[in-house]
Amino acid sequence: MSHRVLIHVGTPKTGTSHLQDVLFRNRQRLREQGVLYPADRHDAHFLAALDLMQLPWGGLENEAVGAWDTLATQVREFEGISIISHEILATASRGQAQRALASLGHPDTEVHVVLSIRDLVRQIPAEWQETIKHRREVPYARFLAQLRDPARDSALGAWFWGVQEVPDILDRWADDLPPERVHVVTVPRPGGQREVLWHRFSQTFGLDDLDLDVEAERANPSLGVPETTMVRRVNIKANKIVPPAAYRPLVRELLAHQTLSRRVDSPRLTLPPDAYAWVAPLQQKWTDVVRQRGYHVVGDLDDVVGAPPPEPYADPDSPDEAQVADAAVDAITALLVENARLFRIEQDLRGELEGAHRDLERAHLRPTYRWREKTVRRLQHSRAGRFALRVYRAGRGRSSRSA
Amino acid sequence: MTDAAAAWGWMAHLRDGGTTPWAGWSGAAEPQGVVLPGAQQLELLRRVNLVGRPTSGLVEAVLAADPPRRTRPALPLAGGVDVPDHGPRPVDPTDLADNELTRLAAVLLAQQLATRPVVEPHVGRRRPWRIRYHLLGDPEHTAPLRRHLIARGRPPGGYGGRVLVLGTDTGRMLVDLWTTHSFRNGALPWRDWLAVCVRRGRLPTSLDLHELARREIDRPVPNRVHVVTDPALASRLLGVRRGPGPPQPMAASAVDLGRRVGAALRPLALPDRRRRLLTDVVRPLLADEPGLPLVIPRRHRDWVHDEAARLHRQLERGRYPVHGDPALVRPVDRAGVEAPDVSVTLALAIRLLLETEHQHREEGP
Repeated sequence: MSHRVLIHVGTPKTGTSHLQDVLFRNRQRLREQGVLYPADRHDAHFLAALDLMQLPWGGLENEAVGAWDTLATQVREFEGISIISHEILATASRGQAQRALASLGHPDTEVHVVLSIRDLVRQIPAEWQETIKHRREVPYARFLAQLRDPARDSALGAWFWGVQEVPDILDRWADDLPPERVHVVTVPRPGGQREVLWHRFSQTFGLDDLDLDVEAERANPSLGVPETTMVRRVNIKANKIVPPAAYRPLVRELLAHQTLSRRVDSPRLTLPPDAYAWVAPLQQKWTDVVRQRGYHVVGDLDDVVGAPPPEPYADPDSPDEAQVADAAVDAITALLVENARLFRIEQDLRGELEGAHRDLERAHLRPTYRWREKTVRRLQHSRAGRFALRVYRAGRGRSSRSA
Repeated sequence: MTDAAAAWGWMAHLRDGGTTPWAGWSGAAEPQGVVLPGAQQLELLRRVNLVGRPTSGLVEAVLAADPPRRTRPALPLAGGVDVPDHGPRPVDPTDLADNELTRLAAVLLAQQLATRPVVEPHVGRRRPWRIRYHLLGDPEHTAPLRRHLIARGRPPGGYGGRVLVLGTDTGRMLVDLWTTHSFRNGALPWRDWLAVCVRRGRLPTSLDLHELARREIDRPVPNRVHVVTDPALASRLLGVRRGPGPPQPMAASAVDLGRRVGAALRPLALPDRRRRLLTDVVRPLLADEPGLPLVIPRRHRDWVHDEAARLHRQLERGRYPVHGDPALVRPVDRAGVEAPDVSVTLALAIRLLLETEHQHREEGP
């Protein structure tokens, strides 16, 4: 049985990709030092979370069936400290959270819940951008309106509050845990050093004294305003004709992550100035709840007070068209380079295919081919014939059964 | 009496088979748990009680069910237990849309059916003299014919043989393809799915009879292709005197429920088993449901007529025999509905929940 289990349940856009990448790449070293990060692939905990929450995810759920039970079994059987981390766990229902904790050994095992949080001033634009990178077409203003709708009956609103509403997530995950076993990690203010967040995670998960390679290979880079607008426009035009399987490598990976995220000089996405009056008291209320409940805070709750609105505000629904055009040129160039690469591959494959066709046609054109085909077919219809064919093939020295 | 006591009292009332709406409820009870189930679960249980007497197992399953995670979570009752400032806002259960309750009912049905055994289809002893064949085209016609032939010792495939491309009127083929998708992975809703087809500007490849035939002919080793626009003729072309009979289009709400259950089964069963569950367990439960089938919505009829006319012309000029009149691919007017009525889908889901639970209890674990 695990001595201690730390389950990190969110929230998205709080440095979780970096943390999970470090844990995954160091899983062997961690194990040697008594810490289990049970994963045989980098998205193992994502699949387990999909399974726990019975959440379809563009076909990935096919690989997720039974993944949570497998993960929980590994944790229960490990003698030491176990770490589980995925940000979409934040949206688990109360029943799912209870099932998860029970499967990890709660209440007999010492289970800790970790929640990393960041100010809504950064989280809201980041979630919209993530939404756009997942094929959505919704303008920023409509996204914000859906978040502000108290009914929360839009898919976007339901998802956003599910993964971002800090007190509600803690209600669902940590209702029957003592406050000292609930750790709230704050993301440093904008401009803070990246290492500060890692140190906070490291302190929370008890990794400070361990020998680890903490250089991240995987990250979820952000886009600027014109770049996000451009991707949204691409979605509007291409969504109905580009299948999801092609969208992910071409738009999300090639365009957004590998190309447009490098344009760091364009204006950053922020909250519109009129939304600050809505967000500030909400954020304050959440912070008060965390303080009142006496959870273990790693960092400073003042970190999650959002920065004041920037001047001037860059509206992604009315962007600077010259900047969008610039981003589009970069995107077209990247697609051309990728097309050239694929074109070369296509030429090679076409050559191979034509060669195979020629060989096939030559085989059919030989005068004996029809006769041999008829003989084999006739022989296959009787037991004696099949036996004779087997003897012939064995004698010939290689099988032609698949021919 | 406190509001919380009233809410717990309403839940106890529903557990006992009560049907009083929350707005008209006045009783009270002690808390029966830590957290009151959501308004969706309680209202769905009330609707189930209105139709029949659920088993205690079904009652507990409804109360414990989770709405799909991309929709609203369990919502507090308006005027019930005190809720904090954060979290979803309370609602009156009678204000919940049928769509929201149907989603929850589909999740429950999927959970009920996910563990059902799947019966292996009958496979007849192979006939050595059988005609080798491949079937393409309208999946609602090819699938039953293929099953019929397999049961009679004539599995598809084999070297050479003939390729039959089956079709019927284009409107029906589109409905058929959506039906098949719905019972495979849980497709998009009908209108959205059709809108995607229209926006792509061409019939889906698996319904483009001419394109399917052309591809087979253009193979390096061409297959002998027959296009069949009158599916009743197909079985004779494959050496079988009688076919499975013309498939009847399913009621719109039955397919809609199949689609929702298919989507809810995605995280519960691996693809192969899910496909078998949908075709061999879910579909037979819904196949004979009365109700009008789907037809092409008025706004897309012109597009379907144009596509059918193009297909008709291509079939007349094709380099393959066409069995049946090529004009049969032209859409015909038939009785139907342009979209499923979600209230009918919900009623069907509730009836099936009750029936499958009682059936499960009779069969035993």
